[in-house]
Amino acid sequence: MSAPAPVDEARGEEHRADRSASSALWRTGLQRYAILIVFAALIIGFGVSLPSTFLSIGNLSNILGSQAVLFILVMAVLLPTVVGDFVDLSLGSSLGLSAMTLAVLNVQHGWPVLLACLAGIGAAVCVGLVNVLFVVFFDNDPFIVTLGTMTIVQGVIYIVSGSNSVGIVSTNLSNWIFSNEFLSIPLEFYYGLAIFLVVWYVLSFTPTGQKALVIGQSREVARLSGVRVNRQRAWAYILGAAVAAIAGIAYAGTNGTVDPTAGSALILPAYAAVFLGATAIKPGRINALGALIAVYFLATGTAGLELLGAQTYFQQIFYGAALVAAVTIPKVNRERFFRRRRAA
Amino acid sequence: MPVTDSGTPDEPDKRVSPGEPPAPGGRAAVPPALEVRGISKNFGSNRALDSVDLSIGQGEVLGLLGQNGSGKSTLVKILAGVYDPEPGGQLFVGGEEVALPLAPGQASEIGLSFVYQNLALAGGLSVLENLTLGQRIGGGFRAWQPINWITEHRSAAAVLDRYDVKLDLDRRTGELAPVDQARLAIVRAAEDLRRYRTRSGYKHSVLVLDEPTVFLPEEEVDRLFDLIRTVAAEGAAVLFISHDLIAVRAITDRLVVLRDGRVVGEELTADIHEEKLVDLIVGAPARPGASAPADAAPAEDQRAVELTVAAMESAGDAPAAGENVVAEHLTDERLHDLSFDIGAGEILGVAGLIGSGAEDLPYLLFGARPDAFGTLRLGAETIDVGGLSPARSVRERIALVPADRALLGLSQSLTLWENIVMLVEDEHYRGGVFRRGELVTLAQEAIDRFLIRPPRARNTMSTFSGGNQQKTLLAKWLLARPRLLLLHEPTQGVDVGARRDIYRFVKSAAALHHMAVLWVTTEFGELAEVCDRVIVVTQGRHTATLTGDELTEEDISAAALRQTREDR
Repeated sequence: MSAPAPVDEARGEEHRADRSASSALWRTGLQRYAILIVFAALIIGFGVSLPSTFLSIGNLSNILGSQAVLFILVMAVLLPTVVGDFVDLSLGSSLGLSAMTLAVLNVQHGWPVLLACLAGIGAAVCVGLVNVLFVVFFDNDPFIVTLGTMTIVQGVIYIVSGSNSVGIVSTNLSNWIFSNEFLSIPLEFYYGLAIFLVVWYVLSFTPTGQKALVIGQSREVARLSGVRVNRQRAWAYILGAAVAAIAGIAYAGTNGTVDPTAGSALILPAYAAVFLGATAIKPGRINALGALIAVYFLATGTAGLELLGAQTYFQQIFYGAALVAAVTIPKVNRERFFRRRRAA
Repeated sequence: MPVTDSGTPDEPDKRVSPGEPPAPGGRAAVPPALEVRGISKNFGSNRALDSVDLSIGQGEVLGLLGQNGSGKSTLVKILAGVYDPEPGGQLFVGGEEVALPLAPGQASEIGLSFVYQNLALAGGLSVLENLTLGQRIGGGFRAWQPINWITEHRSAAAVLDRYDVKLDLDRRTGELAPVDQARLAIVRAAEDLRRYRTRSGYKHSVLVLDEPTVFLPEEEVDRLFDLIRTVAAEGAAVLFISHDLIAVRAITDRLVVLRDGRVVGEELTADIHEEKLVDLIVGAPARPGASAPADAAPAEDQRAVELTVAAMESAGDAPAAGENVVAEHLTDERLHDLSFDIGAGEILGVAGLIGSGAEDLPYLLFGARPDAFGTLRLGAETIDVGGLSPARSVRERIALVPADRALLGLSQSLTLWENIVMLVEDEHYRGGVFRRGELVTLAQEAIDRFLIRPPRARNTMSTFSGGNQQKTLLAKWLLARPRLLLLHEPTQGVDVGARRDIYRFVKSAAALHHMAVLWVTTEFGELAEVCDRVIVVTQGRHTATLTGDELTEEDISAAALRQTREDR
């Protein structure tokens, strides 16, 4: 094989660029909106097979409302993930701790519901501070530390609740969160939407968001550019915990009774949604809009499957399959096949 | 010849015109844009910078020259806030003292703008985001104000237009070719500088370029020079760090040479001749401490090698036939049609500065560079370099000792003996059982022969010093009896004693097994000592060969430095 003839680099680059620019654009566009396309296909598919049940206000309300707690937790999870601290496993337990604190104080000690909510947020923020101490200050691996704090907090929840479910939380709270509806959709969806709008705005349109992004992408470049890396990371943990606490309040309002395992089952689906969302809209980047779409895409899928009569475990399979497919499909391209053939 | 812009509209009196020695009272009137006094930096016992004094006047382009290890990068990193200098040094920016040490990124607040050697671009961010990154720093209310991406896009496009650079603002920076990434880094630094100057009322400002020409082809370098001249004409000071002598002579007004952490020369660019410059950089009769042993060593070394070979033979190590190695038309991103040959048992050195492409050679020949072309002939076999992979290279008995030994060469968490026998384990797997005892004994022999200390086979690899790890790495490869041994910076971070051992091991293995050796390093003195022949690679091409009496550190350095650009 002879070496390629020396080419005028600038011209050569342009030629190569032209040829691949159009196909690259096509591929990028497809990748960014793939999930929306599949989402639309899903809606059409279910709509056609179950016109009366699927395409109903009741169903829409069910999808949007039932996932609100998860939606808020997803926003919480987004924060430490964006700054590059994958993963904060303790956020699920922070949700549970805040819900349980609220319930115990309100039901067993007669605290007014508003104060109990604030106490719940305070408790979760303490967990966030502990994480900051061990992950940021002592420079440990976030996965390992938050795995530890998660299990510790879980234990604390059992202690505080006496291993019992605690209820029924003030109906005032339930009204504000779950019972009252606007446009037939429970209010908690709108709280989630509000949090989403704030997070989305900050990440996409403010210098703070840009700094967070750089920290997550290249910590060293961020440092060289003068970003206060550890400070931002610390805030990410604290705010993440606070938002998880709000998810906990929503949980308490929705269910009325808080059981000790609240939140623990939600952390993995939350991460699934965040990572699935990272493949959409701004591929390769953790982003809020993508996460929003991912949560409701997954919710629509499972709701449709339930209406079709599928068992609830299908939800698990659907979540997992969607996530794996979403991260693999962008990698499937011609280069990969060529390289393997050459090495053989 | 440096081009002088005739008078700038805004600051006719602040410009220091090149070619004229600064008037004695001149500096007192206008403070230098940047001045460091007495900056030192120690890394353990290594004095990387020793009381360095430097100053750059406004509108002046200062070149900073020096070999690897001379302290250039260390100085830049201190200015960038990455390293803290030893107490006692002082920094003055625009005549005002700035407290040391600097925090990372603080430099941009005081008017310093950098183009780092590694460009400091976030690969996952878009070109637009990287370009505007400097504007996002800063707290308070500004950190929460909305960014209008549409106007930012438009003004960024205008900026690129102004610098005549064509880049897709929405493309992921990591996907750009290195040339484009370099262009982006340069435009960003120049724009940040401009913004700082507008904000600070045209006071001082300094542009620091660390090896900017490494990624740039010919035409780009000229455009970079135009940019530097424009920036200097506007009154900024430019610090141009490079080993590219021709570039330095073309663009700088004055230059400073660092050697072993000290300033050894400060000259006006127009006044100095290339030969004298090379002398200053390399140092006339090398370092006094190193010369003496270098003269005595050959005879002593030769005897040590002979003894080692005899010992190996008596231990049952059979001499092998060995094969000639011919590499032809090696081409990759930086190499252009490079060809050379190595005789069986010959140690061929490759001298090339950073960016010359020489550092790609060992990995390319080992199959660790998938996008390369070329042919490798080992004895009677011909192998297409593009089809090589590390697994295949091991099968073909090609060995690679990479520069980043901790990460790429050894497993830090396994034990010493496990690391040593890694490549020959298969030979001791019989009847479904690993003959552990045999392997440990084999490792023990290697430990004795290669003088690895402490000689405890069951200690974890990470507990061994750099020199001993390198000896382990060498032992591991030599046990597999390669036909071709590729070394990249083999004595980097290795103490003096281990270095001599490594030279001896490689020489004796080459002598006994007639193994061909390719030794690539920027320590030219080492090449002079160990190699039989040295080829010089500049800008991806084979530009010189040195043998016999020409094998001295000075001659090799001079050859590598001298031909950094095709002679016009």
